[in-house]
Amino acid sequence: MTAAVLSGIERRFGEGPPALDGVDLEVVPGEVHALLGENGAGKTTLMRILAGLDRPDAGSVAVAGEEITTFTPRALREHGVAMVQQHFTLVPTLTAGENLALARPEGALRPSARQVQRRVEELVERFRLPVRPDVPVAELSVGEQQRLEILRALDADARLLILDEPTAVLVDDEADALLDVCRGLAADDRAVVIITHRLREVFAGADRVTVLRRGAVVCAGEPVADHDRASLANLMVGANATNGTARPARHVEGSRLRVEGAALRRLRPLDLQVGAGEVLGIAGVDGNGQAELEELLAGVTAPDRGTVTVDGVPVPVGAPRERIARHIAYVPSDRYRYALAGPLSLADNLELGRGPSRRPTRARRWELAQPVLAEWDVRGAGPELAAGRLSGGNAQKLVLARELAGTPKLVVAAHPTRGLDPEAARMVTRRILDAAAGGAAVVWFGAELDELFDIADRLVVLAGGHAAGPFEPPYDRAAIGIAMAGGGGS
Amino acid sequence: MAVTDREAGVRGPDRLVGRLLGGRDGRSRAARVAVPVLAVLGALVVGGVLMALEGVAPLSAYGEVVSGVLGRTRGLADTAVVATPLILLALGITVAYRARVFTIGAEGQYVTGALAGTALATVGPLSGLPGPLLVIVALLAAVLAGAALAALTGWLQDRFGASVVITSLLLNYVAAAALAWAVRVGIRDPGSFTPQSRAVGAAGLPTLPGTGLHLGFLFALIAVPVLAVVLRRTRFGLRVEVLGANPDVLAVNEARPAAVRLAVLIVAGSLAGFAGFVEVAGVTDRLTPAFATGYGFTAIIVALLGRLRPLGVLVAALLLAGLSVGFDEAERAFIIPSSTVGVIQALIVVFFVAGEALSRRKGR
Repeated sequence: MTAAVLSGIERRFGEGPPALDGVDLEVVPGEVHALLGENGAGKTTLMRILAGLDRPDAGSVAVAGEEITTFTPRALREHGVAMVQQHFTLVPTLTAGENLALARPEGALRPSARQVQRRVEELVERFRLPVRPDVPVAELSVGEQQRLEILRALDADARLLILDEPTAVLVDDEADALLDVCRGLAADDRAVVIITHRLREVFAGADRVTVLRRGAVVCAGEPVADHDRASLANLMVGANATNGTARPARHVEGSRLRVEGAALRRLRPLDLQVGAGEVLGIAGVDGNGQAELEELLAGVTAPDRGTVTVDGVPVPVGAPRERIARHIAYVPSDRYRYALAGPLSLADNLELGRGPSRRPTRARRWELAQPVLAEWDVRGAGPELAAGRLSGGNAQKLVLARELAGTPKLVVAAHPTRGLDPEAARMVTRRILDAAAGGAAVVWFGAELDELFDIADRLVVLAGGHAAGPFEPPYDRAAIGIAMAGGGGS
Repeated sequence: MAVTDREAGVRGPDRLVGRLLGGRDGRSRAARVAVPVLAVLGALVVGGVLMALEGVAPLSAYGEVVSGVLGRTRGLADTAVVATPLILLALGITVAYRARVFTIGAEGQYVTGALAGTALATVGPLSGLPGPLLVIVALLAAVLAGAALAALTGWLQDRFGASVVITSLLLNYVAAAALAWAVRVGIRDPGSFTPQSRAVGAAGLPTLPGTGLHLGFLFALIAVPVLAVVLRRTRFGLRVEVLGANPDVLAVNEARPAAVRLAVLIVAGSLAGFAGFVEVAGVTDRLTPAFATGYGFTAIIVALLGRLRPLGVLVAALLLAGLSVGFDEAERAFIIPSSTVGVIQALIVVFFVAGEALSRRKGR
């Protein structure tokens, strides 16, 4: 008897390579199954399909021997599948018990506070997952909220429990406790799938491991005991010819950007120095401190402590026009949220953060924007078009046209090629490297190691808020893979 | 990143304003003008049916409305006088709503401006100033008072996260209470039996020669192009648009959203306060408990009907003012209550909002 069998699952979003390309997976009751992979490997997409949150383009899913035809969360829940997503889905103003009652009502009336509290206490007792029953969820710790999510799934008698990056929000002790819980559930003959990119958890808690890379299975449910850290890290990041040696060395001078002991939220105190003309790559899986470092470098948020300076002067915080006047270019990871005002015209978007307080006439502004758009190859559009209508590649070119104007001293480029077609990605890459050649210190946040190997003079890996490295060419793929998966040793 | 403050907005006006501002949406200019025109016509038709149900012949009633505006010597002047505060108030609302700062405090700011200007012009050390100077000082006081009340709502949101929608609405009641107190106690005319302030006298606005219009209408007319230029040709105007489009983009690339929101509120409050004292100095001559007649709320309709564009505001204000003057006249001639105009206004809003939604859907 199997808990779930997925075979030949395919899923594609828009253009570009498929998110899942013929994936097979088998989960049996009584095991903790680790699903391992880098960002964008397809782990979450696969599990969302199993939880009924998404549907496959091709392939079949069977749960407890029954073929699934209706892909809705409710249908899969009835088959005993429950997924705890990375972002919790609890109502923060309700107590634990009320959240449970909301998910699985008993009768038409709102239950009394005593009833719901008893319900929580019974579950807490039965599964040994401590959660305070009488305070609003917003006041619970993150660990408690997660346990409540799990309780809610078990309350619906889930036989197959999926946890998406469950330890991303937990400290180590809590993570260990959670893995114990998973082991306990498996001993109760349930199946648990843990989506993760951390090797530590695979070895601490899982029986078998499946590794996905770019939407394909590269290791199918092999016993964890047959592997060691290096072999799994290799499977995860892949072995490839590129190691950064093919690229000519750049001329690097001094240290333009200095980050000294800067810390913010989950980012632990960090020291970095990037010289003029140097490209520093920041590797790692999202949610390990990249967003925090990006905010620090771009002056969006002040560091909790430490300093960030460019040419010896602190990066201005919360003063975008000053940042721009100081030639700090910022290409944010979410360009539609932080870089472009969708309803405004391309010309207006080019003007953001620069330009005089008295603006020229609209006709003149369009005239001024025209050559810029042409030079940066923003296609299919005049300056009057709303920026929200641009394709991803053209939108990114528009951002670069604005940010890289003049001679930037620091370029903060977060996932600048994400979601772009190869041609646009090449141009974006070339323009950013041109800025480096022009004397800018470039910090490039990337998800794909191959890309980073091609462009970076040095690489720093962020994992759990800690920086590993810098690594230098020729890059040691295995060592970087291990660093990304939460460090070597222990 | 923790710079988002979209949550502070409300969904309803948000969507309508989104539709109004989404300029190049593939709809022709004709379609964009057609919706408000059809909304007005539809409201008149339905209003006519309602009148017929009441036993009034709608066509002759409407005829009376039209002749009330066009058929009298003072009809057009009355319309312009009624339109004056509406224009000034709606221009302020236009700036705020373009930035998606959904203040509904224009009424309170209008009253507060009137109060401050009147107080300064009728009591206290400055009331003895010569006429023109007194007008200027009193208008300045009105502007500052309106701006201060609006700034308070911005500060409350910035400091405590209190929604501008709620605080601005509630402050209207505070302003109404302040007006009630002032005309009975604070700045009451001691020589008068009924509660009211002294007449502003020397601070009154002169009449434009040969028109029967007070100077305030000229101010309102001038404010229209001035505001259009501010919105289109200044950095502040760009920031207003960006704040409305995406506060995160504003924060990362241009300016602090809280600062721009505050500036927007101050502009709206200044115009409202200005309108308040213009109304006193040009029309009522003194403050009475009945001074607040809801112009601040009607102005929201004016701003939306005018598609949040200064020129549109001018047209919409004249239209609604004409309706109001016409129905007042028709009330005198017929037995229709002048409150019918409120029904018509409400119907215009309903048809306009529905028409906007429908024309978008078809446009796709």
